Amino acid sequence: MDMTDNATWAGADERGRGAKVWDLGIRLFHWSLVLLVSVAVVSGLLGWPSLFDVHLIVGTAIAVLVVYRLVWGFTGSTYARFASFISSPLATLRHLREVVSGTAPTHTGHNPAGAAMIVGLLLALVVLVVSGAVVLGGIFKEGPLASFAGYATGRAAKEMHELVSYAVIGLVALHVLGTLFESRRTGVDLVRSMIHGRKSSHKAGQNASQHDDTSSVERGARPLLATGLIAVILVSLGALVVHASRLPVPGVRNAPLPDLYVSECKACHAVHSPSIAPAATWHAIIAGLDDHFGENASLDPAVAAELARYLRQNSAEHWDTKAANRFTAASEIAPLRITATEGWRRLHRTVSDSDFTRRSVGGRLNCTACHSDAEQGRFAPRNINIPEETTP
Amino acid sequence: MTHVFRIRLAGALLLLGTATSAVLAGTGPAQQAIIANFAAQAKAADPTFSGFSAQRGEAFFHARHAGGKPDTPTCTTCHTTNLKAPGKTRAGKEIAPMAVSANPKRITDPAEVAKWFRRNCKDVVGRECTVSEKGDVLAYLASQ
Repeated sequence: MDMTDNATWAGADERGRGAKVWDLGIRLFHWSLVLLVSVAVVSGLLGWPSLFDVHLIVGTAIAVLVVYRLVWGFTGSTYARFASFISSPLATLRHLREVVSGTAPTHTGHNPAGAAMIVGLLLALVVLVVSGAVVLGGIFKEGPLASFAGYATGRAAKEMHELVSYAVIGLVALHVLGTLFESRRTGVDLVRSMIHGRKSSHKAGQNASQHDDTSSVERGARPLLATGLIAVILVSLGALVVHASRLPVPGVRNAPLPDLYVSECKACHAVHSPSIAPAATWHAIIAGLDDHFGENASLDPAVAAELARYLRQNSAEHWDTKAANRFTAASEIAPLRITATEGWRRLHRTVSDSDFTRRSVGGRLNCTACHSDAEQGRFAPRNINIPEETTP
Repeated sequence: MTHVFRIRLAGALLLLGTATSAVLAGTGPAQQAIIANFAAQAKAADPTFSGFSAQRGEAFFHARHAGGKPDTPTCTTCHTTNLKAPGKTRAGKEIAPMAVSANPKRITDPAEVAKWFRRNCKDVVGRECTVSEKGDVLAYLASQ
């Protein structure tokens, strides 16, 4: 073995390929996470409704990966185990000081700074998964937390989800910079070692004397135990999620719109869920049907009274959906126009005038043209589809 | 007794009159009943009333009226000039064809007839329509 060309890490094989440091589980985890976090960041930043489900699926997959990593941290091979790399904050600071002064030793596994990054990233991902589930439940009334989180809670979780996701982008940048720096410092191509799992330095024998590895005891991976543990955790979590997702959701009403309401409204325009305006707005609309946005839409008094009663009992105040929360503050210019509210305009700011006026849509009033679940008051992102223009 | 007899006679005469003018050809009992009811009102208001005219109804339906809203000067703004084809509300919703031959449900619910004359006469003509104007339009729709 030519000591001048190859590293002197413990466990270097006969052919001098360097020591096996990262087991297959760690490498698969790392690159899967790179892919999933990239997709999550891009889909989250773009925020397109069509990417909503992609973001959900990728977020769920990240949760599964985190569970896997936590288990592997106790059952994987030596350098996968938390015990082999988690250092105290003081030791981490000492390492950083040594890096600055040029006296830091090399580490076979993670150095203390890298270890802190792993802990930070895993914690951030846990916060992102949990806050994402709160957003999904509180704002979109879906998923395991829909029956527990209200809209206001969902909004707060959204703030946190966004903040922490920016933090993760920062951490990932720092992680890449740190890896490149450490590769230069130690002469080990750390990116490649995360691919083939081996570490070898082209800086012949350098730093070898300073080699500081606290976990000299080699631990074998226990994949069967890991698989069993992961299966038990995922099945339990999955059952919990499925059960919780089926609980009744407060703030959402599933009763179909009454026939009279549908027939009277739909005679002229798309029928709207009573959830999208507060009782005061509906009251004024029914009282002013003689001049309904410029049209005479007067009703038989008995029919008007019946509709007024239904609207009063099912107005936005009785819901906790996104629409019920965002459209409640009436516009000062056009108090009865839901499409004039600040919330409505903000939510539709990316939709152009020509999209609204195209024949297949038929104007801002026609919610159902693009929201297939508008009549249910749901407006789920996945149910948005601006139809292609049709020929006359 | 004579009072009841007179109303019955008037009704029979009116039915005969409208039937002989062939206005109600192809229409069902529901349409005939509604139009007969309008005819009874017209007769009560004007003893010289001699039956509705599909031709007068056609002229009224297609005329541009000055008293209504500028955006809706005529019935055909929404219903189009082809009564057998669907029209479109101002909010973009399809309106079923007005011609009874193309839409047998037309003129079968007295409340609907009253509602739409009340709404549309004010928007298009700028006032309530008279009983004879309504009856003429119904006769026109029934003849189509």
